[in-house]
Amino acid sequence: MGRGTKSKLTLISAPAGFGKTTLLAEWLANSASGRAVAWLSLDQTDNDLATFWSHLVAALQAATGAAGAAFTDLLPVGPKPDEAFLAKLLNVLGDVSGDLDLVLDDFHVIDQRSIEEGLSFLLEHLPSNIHLVMSTRADPALALGRLRARGELIEIRSGDLRFIPEEVTAYINGSMRLGLTAQDITVLGGRTEGWIAALQLAVLSLEGRNDATAFIEGFAGSDRYIVDYLVEEVLQRVPDEIRHFLFCSCFLERLSGSLCDAVIGSSGGKAMLDALDRQNLFIVPLDDRRQWYRYHHLFADVLRAHLPDEVRNELPTLHRRAADWYEEQGDRPEAISQVLAGGDFERAAELMEMAIPDVQKARGEAIIRNWMRALPTELVRARPVLGMGFVGALAALGELGEVEGRLGDIERGLAAFSGGDARSSLAHRVVVIDTTQLPRMPGAMELYRTALAQVRGDIPRMIYHAERVLALAQPDDHVSRAAGSSLLGIAYWSAGNLEQARRLWSDGRDGLEHATHIADVLGVSVALADISIAQGHLVEAKQVYDHALELAAAQGVQVLRGTADMYAGLAALSLQQGELQIAHQHLQKCHELGEVAGLPQHPYRWRVAAAHLRQSEGNLEGAVALLDEAVRLYVGDFFPNVRPVAATRARVWIAQGRLGDATRWQRETGVGIDDELSYLREFEHITLARLLIAKNETGGVSSAFLARLLDQATSGDRVGSIIELSVLQALALRTSDAAGSFLALEKALSLAEPEGYVRLFAEEGEPMAALLRLAVKRRIVPTYAQRLLAAVGQPRGRPQVHPDLIEPLSERELDVLRLLRSDLGGPEIARELSVSENTMRTHTKNIYEKLGVNNRRSAVRRAEELNLLGRNSPH
Amino acid sequence: MTDRPAHLSDQRDAETYQICVRGHLDAAWAARLSVPSLTHETDSTTTLRGIAADQAALHGLLQRVRDLGLTLVSVVHIDPTTNLSFNPPVNSKRPK
Repeated sequence: MGRGTKSKLTLISAPAGFGKTTLLAEWLANSASGRAVAWLSLDQTDNDLATFWSHLVAALQAATGAAGAAFTDLLPVGPKPDEAFLAKLLNVLGDVSGDLDLVLDDFHVIDQRSIEEGLSFLLEHLPSNIHLVMSTRADPALALGRLRARGELIEIRSGDLRFIPEEVTAYINGSMRLGLTAQDITVLGGRTEGWIAALQLAVLSLEGRNDATAFIEGFAGSDRYIVDYLVEEVLQRVPDEIRHFLFCSCFLERLSGSLCDAVIGSSGGKAMLDALDRQNLFIVPLDDRRQWYRYHHLFADVLRAHLPDEVRNELPTLHRRAADWYEEQGDRPEAISQVLAGGDFERAAELMEMAIPDVQKARGEAIIRNWMRALPTELVRARPVLGMGFVGALAALGELGEVEGRLGDIERGLAAFSGGDARSSLAHRVVVIDTTQLPRMPGAMELYRTALAQVRGDIPRMIYHAERVLALAQPDDHVSRAAGSSLLGIAYWSAGNLEQARRLWSDGRDGLEHATHIADVLGVSVALADISIAQGHLVEAKQVYDHALELAAAQGVQVLRGTADMYAGLAALSLQQGELQIAHQHLQKCHELGEVAGLPQHPYRWRVAAAHLRQSEGNLEGAVALLDEAVRLYVGDFFPNVRPVAATRARVWIAQGRLGDATRWQRETGVGIDDELSYLREFEHITLARLLIAKNETGGVSSAFLARLLDQATSGDRVGSIIELSVLQALALRTSDAAGSFLALEKALSLAEPEGYVRLFAEEGEPMAALLRLAVKRRIVPTYAQRLLAAVGQPRGRPQVHPDLIEPLSERELDVLRLLRSDLGGPEIARELSVSENTMRTHTKNIYEKLGVNNRRSAVRRAEELNLLGRNSPH
Repeated sequence: MTDRPAHLSDQRDAETYQICVRGHLDAAWAARLSVPSLTHETDSTTTLRGIAADQAALHGLLQRVRDLGLTLVSVVHIDPTTNLSFNPPVNSKRPK
C-alpha cells in the first residue's frame, strides 16, 4: 500500500469482514511521518450532497491544522455544492504544502450520483501531492478504467485481502496461540477461504477446546453458510447468561450499560459489556471511555436472524423499554425509532407530536417526513397537530402534492376536537397531545394554503389566504406572521402594487428581526430592496441593505447566508448612482465571501450586477458572457421574475447594435406592442420599446406604446419605470417633437435627481448628451444635468482599461503569473515553485480562466494592464 | 434505525426474482431477509425464491446479501407467464 503515496487513488474494495478499516489504520500508522491525513468515516447520514462535502472539508481542515485555515472559508457548504464550490476547494487544496492523504472509509454507504460526480471532478483535478484513499464494499462510479490505464490507481481487492496459508498460521498459532496442526490450519484456511471475519469466529469457537481437529473436520464438512455455523458454535459455548444478553440486546444500534439494564430488566449491563469487550465477542467501543459500544454489524445481523422464539415474542417489550430509556434521556428521535421498530404506532405518534417543534427548529424536515411515512394514514388523520407538523415538513421540502388533502383532514380534526361538530364520527377519537400548539393551527392552516396558491400561480387566492394568515395568526407568532406578510407581499408585488408589497415585506422583516431570525431578515431584504428600486427609491434600498448587513455583523463571527446578496445589491445600486469604484469594491466583497454566503438567487444576481459594471466600462462582450451564465443560473426562489435576465441581455445586444439577436429574443419571448400590459412583463415591454427605438421605428407606433406603458407605470406609482420610460420618450421624440421630448426629459430629471440616478442617463450616449446640454442651457436642474453630462462623456466601445476581475487571483497564482512573464518553460516554473507539473497546469488553467484569456502571452499582457504584478520585472 | 423488514411485495412495479448464493443459509434468514422461502440446493447453494420486488427493493436485498459476505451466484428474473409448476418445489428443505 505504500505505493499509494505515488498514485492518485488507492481503492480498497472488498466485502464486509475483510479488515479494510484495520488495514487503512495500520498503513497510516506506519506511513512516513510528515504526511497529513484527513480521515472521514462515512455513515448513512453522509449520503447527502451538502453533508458529505461539509464533513469532507471539516476533515481536511482538521488534518491541515493552522495551515488549513483557508478550508474554514469554504464552510458552511451551501445546500447545493456545485462546480464553483469544487473549484474553490481545489484552489485551497492547491495551496497545501507536503503530502496529504484524504481517506474515505466505508464509501459504499454513498449512492448519491451527485456526490460521486463531484468526487470524480475533484479526482480529475487533484494536485499531485494529494492522494485519495477509499475503502468500500462496492466499486465507486469513478472512471476506474481510465485511472487504471494511466497507472493512477492502486487497487486492493478481496483476493489481496484473504489470508494466505502462512498468514492463517501466523494468526491462529501466533497471535491466538491455539497451537493447531498444519493439517488443521490448511483445512480451516480452505473452508474460510481466508475470510478474516470467519477466521475470527473460528478462533472464538476453538478457544479452550480439546477436540480442535474434530471441530475443524465438522466445520469443513458442512455446507452451511459459514457465519451461521460459527455463530451457532460460539453461542453454544458461552454461558446462558451471556447468550441471553446477546439476543436481548442485538437489536440495539448502540449499547451502554444503563440502556442494556433498562432493556433486559437486570443490572450488570456495564460489566457484561466490558466482559464481551475483553473476550472479543464482536463488540466495538464507540468512545475512549468505553461507555458506548456497538456490535459488529455482521454478528448482530446473524444474531437477529436467529433469535429464539422466547426472545422474539418479547421484542415489542424490549423496544418499548429502550424507547422509555431514550425518552428519559431526552432523546425523542431515538425513542421514536425504537417505538416504531416495536410496532407501537400510537405511542410513536404521541412522541412525534412532542418532538416535532424541536426537530423543525433544527431544520430536520427530512426526519419528520420519514416519520410520517412510517405511520398509518388513519392514525395521522385523527391527530391534527401532528398532521400540521407533517404538512410543515412537506412544505419546507417543497413536496406539496399531498398537502391539500392533509390540510382538509386537519381542518376536520380540529373542528371535531373543539366540539364544533359533535355529530362527527371523528369527535370521539381525535387526539391532541401538545395542546400548546392549538392556537397556532388556524394561522398555520392558512399559511400553507397561501403557499399552495402561490405554487399554482393563483394570485387572487394567494392574497385571500395570506390576508387570513395575518388575521388568524397569534400576535406573538412572529414567524407565521412574517411568512404571511411576505407571501402577501409577493402577491401584491407580482400584481405591480408595489407600495402595498413594500409595506408588507417591511412588516415581515420587522417581525423576523423581532424573532431574531436574522438569516431570514437577509432573504426578505433582497425582496424589499428590489421593490424599493422599482419604486425609484434608491436611497431607501441602500438603507435596507445597510441595515441587514449591520444585523448580520452583530451575529458574530459566522457569516450568514445572504450576506453576499446584500453586497451584490449594493454594487448594482452604487453603479446606478455612478460610483464605479465603490461598485467594484462591493463586488469584490461578494467574491471574497463566495457563493456559499449567498441565497439561492445569488449566483445569477451577482453576475447581473457584474455585467452592468462591465457594460458601464464599455466591455459589452464581457457583459453578454456573464449574462449568458446568469440566464442559465436563474432560479425563482418564490420571487416573481420581474426582471428576466434574457431581457437584460437583449438590452446589451441593443446597445451593441446586435439588433438581429435582440429581435430573436423578442420572437422567443413573444412580447408585442399589442400585449395586455402587466407589471410582470413591464421590464420586457420596456426592453421591446428600446428595441423599436433602436430600429428607428420612432414613428407613431413606438410613441403610442411608450405612452401606454407610461400610463400603466404611473397608475402603479412605479417611479423607477416612470423615469426610464420618460428617458426613452425624450429620446424617441427628439427629432419629431422637440417640445414633447424636452418635457419628458424634464420629468425624468426632476424625479431622478433626489435619488441620484446616473447610469440610466449615461448609458444613452450622445443623443442623451445633446438633450442634457439643452437642459443645462435652460437651467433645468443644471448641476445634476452637468453631472450626468460628465458621466455620458466617458466614451464607450473602446477597449477597457480596467476590466473587472471576476475572481481575484490567489497568492500562489500570482507567483505562477510572475514566472509566466519570464522566459522559463512550464517544467522549469514548476521546479522553481517546487510543485508538480500537474499542479502547475491547474494553476495556469485557473489564471487563464480568471483573466479571460487562452494563452500565456495574453495572460501576461492582461496582467500588466490590470497592474497585477507591480512595476518591477522579476528577471 | 428500525429493524422491521421492508415488505418487498408492497412495491407497485414489483417483478418476481430468485437469487442464488453460495452456502446453505439457515431457514431463519427467510424472515430476516423478507423472502418467502429459501431452498438448499445440492450444489451447496441456497436459492431465495418468490422475491416480489421493484428495482429499488431488489438492489436493497442485494446489498443485504453483500453485507452478509455471501457470494452471489445468480439473480434470475422469473417470467410471470411461465407455468410455475415447472419450477423446482418451493420449500426450505433440501430436495431429494
